Amino acid sequence: MLNIYRAIIFMSCLFLLTACGVNQQTKDSQLTLMKTTNPTPFVTDHHKSNKLVKQIEKDVSSFPPIYDVAVVKGKKDTLVVYKVKHLHRFKMKKIEKDVTAKLEKKYPKENFTVSSDYKIFLETVRLNEKMQSKDISEKDAEKRFKEIVKLTKDMK
Amino acid sequence: MASKQKNVTPEQQKYQQLQQKHEKQRPVLKNCIRAFFVGGLICVIGQAISYFYIYFFNFTEQNVGNPTVATMVFLSMILTGFGVYDRLGQFAGAGSAVPVTGFGNAVISAAIEHRTEGFVLGVGGNMFKLAGSVLLFGVFAAFVVALIRTLLSMWGVL
Amino acid sequence: MLKGHQSWVFENHPMITATGVTGGPFEANGNLAKDFDLLFEDLWIGQDSYEKAHRVLFEEAIKIALKKANIQKEQVQFLFAGDLINQITPSSFSARTMKIPYFGLFGACSTSMEGLALASFVVNHQGANFVLTGASSHNAAVEKQFRYPTEYGSQKPPTAQWTVTGAGVALVQKNNPSQKHPVITSATIGRVIDMGLSDPFNMGGAMAPAAADTIQAHFRDLGLEPSYYDLIITGDLGRIGHDTAFELINKSGLQLERRQFQDCGLLIYKEDQPVQSGASGAGCSATVLYGHLLNEMKKGKYQRILVVATGALLSPLTFQQNETIPCIAHAVAIEMID
Repeated sequence: MLNIYRAIIFMSCLFLLTACGVNQQTKDSQLTLMKTTNPTPFVTDHHKSNKLVKQIEKDVSSFPPIYDVAVVKGKKDTLVVYKVKHLHRFKMKKIEKDVTAKLEKKYPKENFTVSSDYKIFLETVRLNEKMQSKDISEKDAEKRFKEIVKLTKDMK
Repeated sequence: MASKQKNVTPEQQKYQQLQQKHEKQRPVLKNCIRAFFVGGLICVIGQAISYFYIYFFNFTEQNVGNPTVATMVFLSMILTGFGVYDRLGQFAGAGSAVPVTGFGNAVISAAIEHRTEGFVLGVGGNMFKLAGSVLLFGVFAAFVVALIRTLLSMWGVL
Repeated sequence: MLKGHQSWVFENHPMITATGVTGGPFEANGNLAKDFDLLFEDLWIGQDSYEKAHRVLFEEAIKIALKKANIQKEQVQFLFAGDLINQITPSSFSARTMKIPYFGLFGACSTSMEGLALASFVVNHQGANFVLTGASSHNAAVEKQFRYPTEYGSQKPPTAQWTVTGAGVALVQKNNPSQKHPVITSATIGRVIDMGLSDPFNMGGAMAPAAADTIQAHFRDLGLEPSYYDLIITGDLGRIGHDTAFELINKSGLQLERRQFQDCGLLIYKEDQPVQSGASGAGCSATVLYGHLLNEMKKGKYQRILVVATGALLSPLTFQQNETIPCIAHAVAIEMID
């Protein structure tokens, strides 16, 4: 019995330590699943303006159950990823439908891919970071973006 | 319980009342609290593992469940083999039995137990001694639910 | 000689001249570790199955008893033994190794006293010069048969009991007045009692009425009062069954004092060992009586004791079929006679 108590205490210490030990200056992407990141919307092609994607982000953020939005526009597709507040996660499918409907109505020219998956969100944030720090060429960014869109489509 | 005690004589009934006085009841509240924390802890570990797979491998939230479950079952296998899991079970009760690790434990403990009877009749025949009913009724329940859903959507309710 | 309805009085006073007691690792950490002749460090006892380990446990106990009495196994006429495993194979297989004519007994955890009563009867009536009797159980082998696999993480209720890994063997022989050994003076064979309990995790509660019934029968048949004995000890009732039995006996009008009424299942382990309600198993009463209690008698702590071993006569099949648990208890009186 004592051993079990000891094991539990040890485990909780471990969790506490690892949580506190995280360096404050780490990149956003490392913690993106645990906190709100709100990445700047971006376009893979930097010649184009990012006005449109900013507007899209605003529209999506206006949904009350949604709290963290990332928008990326590639050459053809526009990827919209968001996080849903915990208690609203039961209605995930409906929210996705609503978001898609609203966006498609407002921006009929765009080709939207909507997702609430953490993985897609994470990859979007990672891509965003690389774009910001200019670690990645535009061509590669577009390629990576297409991969992410493909991953989203695979899930459905 | 009531159905079991149909045919008690007055003498038996009298004794059972007397016995009840001495019988220690399961500490339900304490067990619930322990189950809550240990079960929660197991789920936190599971969540951490699924985040690990999302961060470092190409799994999405939809399909990360598969490797996570496999890892958790593997961990419970190891703990069962080292003789830790049954002690955890005594402490935590439902907390360690309900998560998928409890299923792993049920399979592996039976397999370990009966390996002395050989691989075919022992391990093969007894491995699902405890977990078999979970599988059977799990599959059956899934079938019933799917059937209801299919019928409902056929009739246009859903 | 029959006395009363269901008791024997052994007027020739058969003696217990030697005992052999073996135990496992859990018993080694228990309260009575020093009263065991041989303690194994490992549940496997160097065998490749728990059932074989169970057999070795019993064989070693027999060998120790023979060695202590300084006789050859060929001199022993009969072996009365039993255990809890299907078809009592560990005992029968030990009899195969020992080549001693053998009676296989099954009385669940009461086997030890069933064997001792029969052995005493046979010796008392010149049926044999030397008789070996004993009972054994092995935690993992018994749990495997009656409950879940050992490593399965199920939560046992506080009424559950821990099966003893151990074997106790006694050599019963004709009285030899030149030697001072504990003698068996009487025995009472119990009826099967079923009070309609069906919870296999509360055996103590189911067995308590059987113990109370046999104790009452013993005093009625022999015309004695409980104060005749220094100690009345039940086999493996555990905490719940022991309290219940105490209340039952006192309600029946016998004057029994708390300090002279004990339970083997409560003596063998320490308080902090995770055994819930106490110990159980055929080996429980056998190891405690043939080890601890006889040692205490030789030291002079007790003059007369009455051992009441209780057994729950269930099988995994019957409780799955929702049958209630019939129980039995046998009492044997052991005295030091000057």
